[in-house]
Amino acid sequence: MHDRPTENRPIKEPIRKPWIWIVMAFIILAAIPWYLPGGTVAPIILGLPYWAFISVVFSLALCGYLSWLRLHEWDVVEEEEEREKSEERGE
Amino acid sequence: MDDLTFGGASGIIVLVAYAAVMLLIGYLAGRGQPNVRESVKSYYLAGGGLGFVALFFTLYATQYSGNTVVGYAPTAYRTGFPWLQSIMFMTFIIGAYLVFAPRLYAIAKKEEFVTPADWIRHRFQSTAVTLLAVLLMLWGIGNYLLEQLVAIGQGISGLTGDTVPYQIGVVLFVAVMLTYAWMGGMKAVAFTDVMQGVALLVGVAVLLGGSLYLIGGSLGDATQYLIQNEPEKASVPPLDVSANWLSLVLMVGFGAAVYPHAIQRIYAAESERTLKRSLAGMAWMPPITTGLVFVVGIVGISLFPNLGEGESEQLVGMIANEVAAINLFFYVMMILLFGGIVAAIVSTADSALLSFSSMISKDLYARHINPDASEGKQVLVGKIWGIVAVAILLVIAWNPPTTLYNIFVLKFELIVQIAPAFILGLYWKRLSSWPVFFGMLAGASLAGGMTLFGFGTVYGVHGGVIGLFLNLAICVVGSLLITPSKEEAARAERSAELSVR
Repeated sequence: MHDRPTENRPIKEPIRKPWIWIVMAFIILAAIPWYLPGGTVAPIILGLPYWAFISVVFSLALCGYLSWLRLHEWDVVEEEEEREKSEERGE
Repeated sequence: MDDLTFGGASGIIVLVAYAAVMLLIGYLAGRGQPNVRESVKSYYLAGGGLGFVALFFTLYATQYSGNTVVGYAPTAYRTGFPWLQSIMFMTFIIGAYLVFAPRLYAIAKKEEFVTPADWIRHRFQSTAVTLLAVLLMLWGIGNYLLEQLVAIGQGISGLTGDTVPYQIGVVLFVAVMLTYAWMGGMKAVAFTDVMQGVALLVGVAVLLGGSLYLIGGSLGDATQYLIQNEPEKASVPPLDVSANWLSLVLMVGFGAAVYPHAIQRIYAAESERTLKRSLAGMAWMPPITTGLVFVVGIVGISLFPNLGEGESEQLVGMIANEVAAINLFFYVMMILLFGGIVAAIVSTADSALLSFSSMISKDLYARHINPDASEGKQVLVGKIWGIVAVAILLVIAWNPPTTLYNIFVLKFELIVQIAPAFILGLYWKRLSSWPVFFGMLAGASLAGGMTLFGFGTVYGVHGGVIGLFLNLAICVVGSLLITPSKEEAARAERSAELSVR
């Protein structure tokens, strides 16, 4: 990997976007039942106590959100690497 | 896992088969990379060329062990629905990766890092900070390895109905692990992880299917049973449990993400695209691993009510016995599951061992003892010290010291203390080496001390997290008070630079 001048290419790095972390904190806090009245169980939804159902929904939302972020909000060196790879293949 | 009625001879056959496949994979991985003995990067990072499948499964094997099944189901049994947190803290590891992996990957490729300490050294240029970080990582990962070795023995003696005694089982499987790791390094470790991960996933799914079958097929029935008999396990938990939940999410999330072998998997990725895709897939693994195990634990409450704490530890074995008795298919699958559990523990142990060896090779031997050593010599020294470390850990496992036993349980508490140096160092140029050093030392001392003296949590918050906040505060306040020299500022600027490749 030799040095070469910086190219003006947008870098996508999650740390630079506050909304990513605000949404993540919201999902995490929503999945933990601190805001629900202690000791309650009913209603039962799909075989789970309601609060556990809410927790599962937000836990799955966290999985989906993180998976989506990986693929759409992260691009630091991918373009360069893929270009280098295709150049190597082309030679 | 005592007295598995389905174990015995067929258990031995399955274990021998797993061992043979692991050795074959190790041999083939070694043959496929001729310079694995002469190159540090080849041996410890598979030359930085792990593709999607291998990277995905080796990340999986690093985060999930046999303990995820045999330990988490009893915890769900004892805790009830609040153990849903196990899905979340495993998911948040991927969130924690998102904080630092994108930039660390790019810098690691440019600078050709091999060990986690390479980044610390590159960023802070301080022997004190680097050595302290290496020490914390070696200590934490050594204890982690110890835990896995103990679990291998318990798994094997359970599966074979004690026909293979605990100690012999451990020694044989550890020998297999050392042999394939010796032959093929990271590539062998990653490729065996594929087999080990698949075995565990399939086994857990069948265990869940079988246990649901036993209670009549519905999770709703298990929930109803719980509400009628042990309502506190089904209702909204008190606030300190919620605080503990959040604390565990933070500690496991950041702790597991900065585990040395986890960081080295970032370095070992073939490309950013491969790393992204593997981690995107990993984000979905908690529901289908810890989530399924959680349901097994909840179903276990109606299958085997009122077990004491010690008895409940045997829950997976007890359920597996019942499931194996359903028919031949379930019988075979339960044997494969228990083989898979042993394999999963081995696959977690091998990653930790390789990482341990790499730090001995590069961060201690090549840096401080023999700086002129060839790479081949470095690899050899790492391998030999890895074996010595395993031998020492086995002695400790069999003769646990009566005093100071707790120093062998410190893991996350210590390793999470390198997170500020790692993560903050990537983004905050003002972060200076001495505050990082004292922050790490104070955080580790507080967290370790709390665990040693029996204060694991305060109001539900773990000692590791409290130590982490102290550490972070010292890093931030200390760095704001110190005016960095021009060279230091310029170096910080350069070290975390992304744009020039």
